Amino acid sequence: MDLTNIAHLHLLLNHVPTVGLAIGLGLLLLAYLRRSDHLKHASLEVLFVIALLTFPAYLSGVAAQAHIQDRPEVSAFSMEVHHDAALLAFVFMEITGLFAWLGLWQYRRTGGPLRSTMGAVLLLSVVSMALMGRAGNVGGEIRHPEILPAEVLAEAGPSTAWLKSSDISAVVTGYPWVWPAAETLHFIGMCMAFGVLLMVNLRILGVMRGVPFSSVHRLLPWGILGFGLNMITGMLFFIAASGQYVENYAFYWKVLLMGLAGANFLYLTVFDKTYALDPGRDAGALDKLVAVLALGTWVGVIYWGRMLPFLGNAF
Amino acid sequence: MDFFIWLEGSALSTWVREADTVWAYPTVLTMHTFGLALLVGASGIFALRLLGVASRMPLHALRPLFTVMWIGFWLNAVTGSLLFMADASRRAVSVLFLTKLLFVAIGVVSIVLVRRDVFATGPEPVISSKARMLAMVSLAVWVVAITAGRLLAYV
Repeated sequence: MDLTNIAHLHLLLNHVPTVGLAIGLGLLLLAYLRRSDHLKHASLEVLFVIALLTFPAYLSGVAAQAHIQDRPEVSAFSMEVHHDAALLAFVFMEITGLFAWLGLWQYRRTGGPLRSTMGAVLLLSVVSMALMGRAGNVGGEIRHPEILPAEVLAEAGPSTAWLKSSDISAVVTGYPWVWPAAETLHFIGMCMAFGVLLMVNLRILGVMRGVPFSSVHRLLPWGILGFGLNMITGMLFFIAASGQYVENYAFYWKVLLMGLAGANFLYLTVFDKTYALDPGRDAGALDKLVAVLALGTWVGVIYWGRMLPFLGNAF
Repeated sequence: MDFFIWLEGSALSTWVREADTVWAYPTVLTMHTFGLALLVGASGIFALRLLGVASRMPLHALRPLFTVMWIGFWLNAVTGSLLFMADASRRAVSVLFLTKLLFVAIGVVSIVLVRRDVFATGPEPVISSKARMLAMVSLAVWVVAITAGRLLAYV
């Protein structure tokens, strides 16, 4: 893959989590102010989508770091500091997204999200917003070392963040059992996420027609659990050996399709028309089309993931 | 052992192992992953249902899940044989490989038994305590089989 523009891509994508999260958080506060359930639902949807979009923002940042770190006009130290700040913001954004999804699921399960879920979403969004702002701020210093005080640059040692990508990398590659163990969990997570999505989408396509949608909906948390497990283990691989992924076109396909698979989770959690269908009733043509595309997406995710070592250079 | 060395040297084994095309080893391995996802995915859903998850899904309507499991199983029986042939003399004596094979066999038997137990008792499917136990066994067995299979790549 031609990486000439990967730094450029990151400059484009890095605004999405910051601005998007501000919009999501703003909607949430407005929902409380106006006591609007619709706004609350919308804010949860926005937060979940932003959590998905934070993935390409973070990944493109790592690719950009690898691409430009040898250039004299950028500060490698500032990049490391920015990377660690962004990693922390990324982790909190993903946890926020997870709770936002839980809230959306609870709209179906109990008619509305639990107070504790909404409290967690609010708190996590505020913390993520602060961390995002910090990451963006130190990111700006990469290309503009002149805005840093001279003594900071003089003392430029290793990054002092408490969550350091280099520490994660050292653990994953330092112990011979970590990588195989994470791979095993990655395959178990795959079976969970794929199994649930297969079941729900097959039902939409008319297989297992006797199953009411309201009951299949209860399976979704198990799918999200598998999805989350694979995001965590997948990120461990990526952080530990980013070099083998950022120059691997199979990886970019996989990330793109993962994002679409995540969107399918959201769709299956919130859609109204099909959800109301009784056992024996058929879904509409549009929902069936979405189901076919979603299954195709999963086939693609597994294909590109398994092909990482063969089409690219990953192990 | 002579048999495994002969098998490993056969034209098909050599092609799977050495052919410089994405259609050989990479594709066989990818198909093996799809089979795994189908077999364990569908089996896991049914096991969870027996253990009380999404308990309003009517059992009789879930029968097609067994078709999905069998598609996954046969896909992996074929692709697994090809992968074994390519490396037969080493795999045939590998404790890890034989462990995996044993647990896959237990997993498949648990699927057959659980189906018989749930659907063969009468017109209405029932979940006996035996079925619940079989569900727990199959979930645990798949975890062991996946772990052993995954570790084969590292030893």
